[in-house]
Amino acid sequence: MTLQPTIGIETHIELNTNTKMFCRCGVVDTEEPNISLCPTCLGLPGALPVPNKKAIEYITLLALSTGCEITTKGMFHRKNYFYPDLPKNYQISQFDLPVGLNGQLEIVIDESTDFIQIERVHMEEDTGKSTHSGTGRIESATSTALDFNRSGVPLVEIVTKPVITSSKQAVAYIEELRQLSIDLNISEGRLEKGNLRFDANISVAPEDSKELGTKVEIKNMNSLRSLERAIDYEIQRQSKAVHDGVEIIQETRHWDENKEVTSTMRSKEGSADYRYFSDPDLPNMYLSKEFVDQVKSSMPQLPNEQREELINTGLSLKQANILSKSDEWIKSLYFKVHQQTKDSEGSYNWITGELQGQMRKANIERLPEWFSHDYLSEIIDLIKNSKISFTSAKIILSQLLEEDSTPNEIAEQKNLFQENDTEKISEMVLQILEENPEKVFINFYFRLIFL
Amino acid sequence: MNCFQTTLRIKVSKDFDIQNIAKLASINLSEDEQEKLAKDLSIILEHVKALSDLELNTEQKEIYIHPLEKELELQEDELVESLTHEEALSNAPESKDGKFVVPPSME
Amino acid sequence: MDIANLPIRKLNTLFNKKDLKPSELYSKIFDNAVGSEASLHAHLTLFEEENIKKAKESDGRFEKGTAQSLLDGIPLAIKDNINIKGYKTTCSSKMLSNYTSPYDATVIKKLKESEALFTGKTNLDEFAMGSSTENSAFGLTKNPWDTDFVPGGSSGGSAASVGARSSIAALGSDTGGSIRQPASFCGLVGFKPTYGTVSRYGLIAFASSLDQIGPITKTVDDSRILFSAISGQDSRDATSIANDQVDIPSDKTAKIGVIKELMEDGISDEARNEVSKVIETLKTSGYEVKEISIPIIKLAISIYYLIAPAECSANLARFDGVRYGLRIDGNTSYEMMENTRAEGFGKEVKRRILLGTYALSAGYYDEYYGKALQARKEMIDEFTRAFNEVDYLISPTTPTQAFKAGEKTSNPLEMYMSDLCTIPANLAGLPAISIPTGVTNDNLPLGVQIMSRALSDESLLNFSEIIEKEIQFDQQPKGWV
Repeated sequence: MTLQPTIGIETHIELNTNTKMFCRCGVVDTEEPNISLCPTCLGLPGALPVPNKKAIEYITLLALSTGCEITTKGMFHRKNYFYPDLPKNYQISQFDLPVGLNGQLEIVIDESTDFIQIERVHMEEDTGKSTHSGTGRIESATSTALDFNRSGVPLVEIVTKPVITSSKQAVAYIEELRQLSIDLNISEGRLEKGNLRFDANISVAPEDSKELGTKVEIKNMNSLRSLERAIDYEIQRQSKAVHDGVEIIQETRHWDENKEVTSTMRSKEGSADYRYFSDPDLPNMYLSKEFVDQVKSSMPQLPNEQREELINTGLSLKQANILSKSDEWIKSLYFKVHQQTKDSEGSYNWITGELQGQMRKANIERLPEWFSHDYLSEIIDLIKNSKISFTSAKIILSQLLEEDSTPNEIAEQKNLFQENDTEKISEMVLQILEENPEKVFINFYFRLIFL
Repeated sequence: MNCFQTTLRIKVSKDFDIQNIAKLASINLSEDEQEKLAKDLSIILEHVKALSDLELNTEQKEIYIHPLEKELELQEDELVESLTHEEALSNAPESKDGKFVVPPSME
Repeated sequence: MDIANLPIRKLNTLFNKKDLKPSELYSKIFDNAVGSEASLHAHLTLFEEENIKKAKESDGRFEKGTAQSLLDGIPLAIKDNINIKGYKTTCSSKMLSNYTSPYDATVIKKLKESEALFTGKTNLDEFAMGSSTENSAFGLTKNPWDTDFVPGGSSGGSAASVGARSSIAALGSDTGGSIRQPASFCGLVGFKPTYGTVSRYGLIAFASSLDQIGPITKTVDDSRILFSAISGQDSRDATSIANDQVDIPSDKTAKIGVIKELMEDGISDEARNEVSKVIETLKTSGYEVKEISIPIIKLAISIYYLIAPAECSANLARFDGVRYGLRIDGNTSYEMMENTRAEGFGKEVKRRILLGTYALSAGYYDEYYGKALQARKEMIDEFTRAFNEVDYLISPTTPTQAFKAGEKTSNPLEMYMSDLCTIPANLAGLPAISIPTGVTNDNLPLGVQIMSRALSDESLLNFSEIIEKEIQFDQQPKGWV
């Protein structure tokens, strides 16, 4: 019996608005605790929520970019549960009338595309941050310290339909979603900062089965690497359980980065009863056609559109995908160099390969201000016309990262131009043979061409 | 309207789990309180039975949150300064290094 | 006439004519407080020191002729579920007995701009849940007409204070009648504005879709002045609306309706008599009065006692000992929260939180809360139909006169039933006022309630003033001034 895994992913994206979702406190990135607070985000008695227009524009943009249907008459709901980092002990979220429904996201794995169906896109608010003192692990903590700076930050939750079938697909999906949120300019997309967080729901079932297996939720995957490994581990764990006849319990499991296993979280039995009800502090949210059209008109080029454009310059899907997920300056550089040289492979290879490699080695994050795309075009042309070798080109490039010059100048300076005229070469060879007969004799057996 | 066409079908569950409700509400009730409150709730729910048996016309999804059917007004994303760090912590039962401190939270 | 008995406009005239100083008025008011608080316990705290200073500042303004507002120098009592920065806001609960507000409610900000004085914070049923002030964790308030009787609730302290003249007027809050009922029990005017016309920012929430702040005063005009000062759309309250008043007639071209269902069983003879008295007066003045039936009113208690507890169960979840208020320790934060809430909340509050939690819980939502929301919409529609026929709806404010402490606390339903007349206005978001019309055989006052369509507050006040002039209820509780 072959088992087929079914995976769904829930992603939370922190929006990079100026202020929080339901109050006008600043969204801050600081170590200083509890400095961006008001009665609303601190959950003081008598405080009330007021929604952030920009956040609604951003979520609408995201929903539109994934082809979702926009809910014209939506509302906010209270999701009720008790936890110290949740100031009101309910989270303002959306239940059955989310902003976006039934969309999809195109993902790329190597040279093929796929579509991941999106169930819903909804708006909610973030919680504060807990730090457990003691050993740093929850189980043996002696106390918990709370910082509410993050409380109330706008979060968009995107839930896929259970259509993902491998860890590779899951990773490609997150990579795409991340890039989309960066291109839409609604998030910084930095996983290590928690701008994007994800949980996975995984089940396995026999290939021909019409029903899905028992769903297990996996939390605490903090990187793409852990996402991939956690999914692979869990699929294996569940498959083994099925083969051994062991029941799979519906639960939430925690990915342990160090041990590289998923383990049962110490949580309450049964699924939580959130007692969702429409938030009486927030009237119905009517998103008019004008509003949606206005948001639509601000839509920038999406990653998949960019890939199409890149493929049209002559790149493969894989190459286009890599570029579409690179920083803006790299994409921009490629287009400029390609326009001048008409050489897609060359432009691509030089930028993504040698240039980025050298910059990494030299510990440079951005191109120096004198560095122009013209230089790369010049280098590519020089190679095309066999004026310099690859090795020389690398040397030139490295020099350009250090000093303000041009490829031709540097080639001149360092005497890197190579001779391509065959007559001249023959002359030079003959001359060398004349001057070094012994060497030629000894080397003759070992070289076919001596230059 | 069908206001008074109540059915004889009694839907109220008299043996609701007071312990479970108290857990959901995060209130540690004494056994004595549990008993008294369970009884009180029974009485009240018995009274509202007439309502829960009603046939009503309005669709739940059409319900307006605001009794006057006001629609939500979205606010511009502009910073407004509010509480100082000291004000925010001024009523904290326990704090350290600028953070609120609580006994360890699980999960 | 004793200055503490005077209405706001008259006091303002005296201030302007320099026949009276604000500090003199405050001194008298404070003396009344000193004389009455021991027996009545209307206030939880008195702001004496601050007020002496503020009254003097007010003196200065009137001296120079720079006083701008009608409320300048007027001492107002504030219900202790409204935040005043720098002072305790306790909601009469152990949970907040040590909580000092770091911010002002919007209504307080507005009143500060009007240069009003705040006598202090008044007693209430804990978290505004109750109809007698017996649910206060800090002791009950007595009715100034007869201290064996309750002043009503939940704004009992505010009403008792105005009744005993330890304030000129007061602010209360009304979720199911908590302004109007105590006003009726204490022989005062109590006004609940159209939902949304007064900001709830800074009012500690009980039931968000029902709560409104409003005045408790000696006269209709005083309520008008206070409403004018505290109303207005607030960007901090997403449920607040622009106060775009709708004009309806208040002269005899206005059509009057008496709510049939509120003149039947469950209503005492005394209460019915007061309504009849008002009807007669109106008819004599040439008004057209007819009976209006609003059948769904019979379900008002059920609807209210599902919606209000449900909303309050979530609104009171924030009281957990983490960031402020009472904290009882525990080994884990869950334990700490559970212990804190067990200790911090009184019986009635626990009852409503649990009822609300149940009404929202999995499997029961549709049956209880969901149904209540639908029924509420139908009630709103029935009122709309009624206001196509009439301009004002009249009913008793309360089924009975004030009761004695302890009389209604055995059965939770009994207390709830006394809200029958007032609840519909909260459910439908309508403006509603109670004006005192008479005194019963037990020498306890009773009022009559008038409601009108949404945003016709000013017309309602005008109409009520006409009745007030006709009825001429000029009695007050003896011995406090």
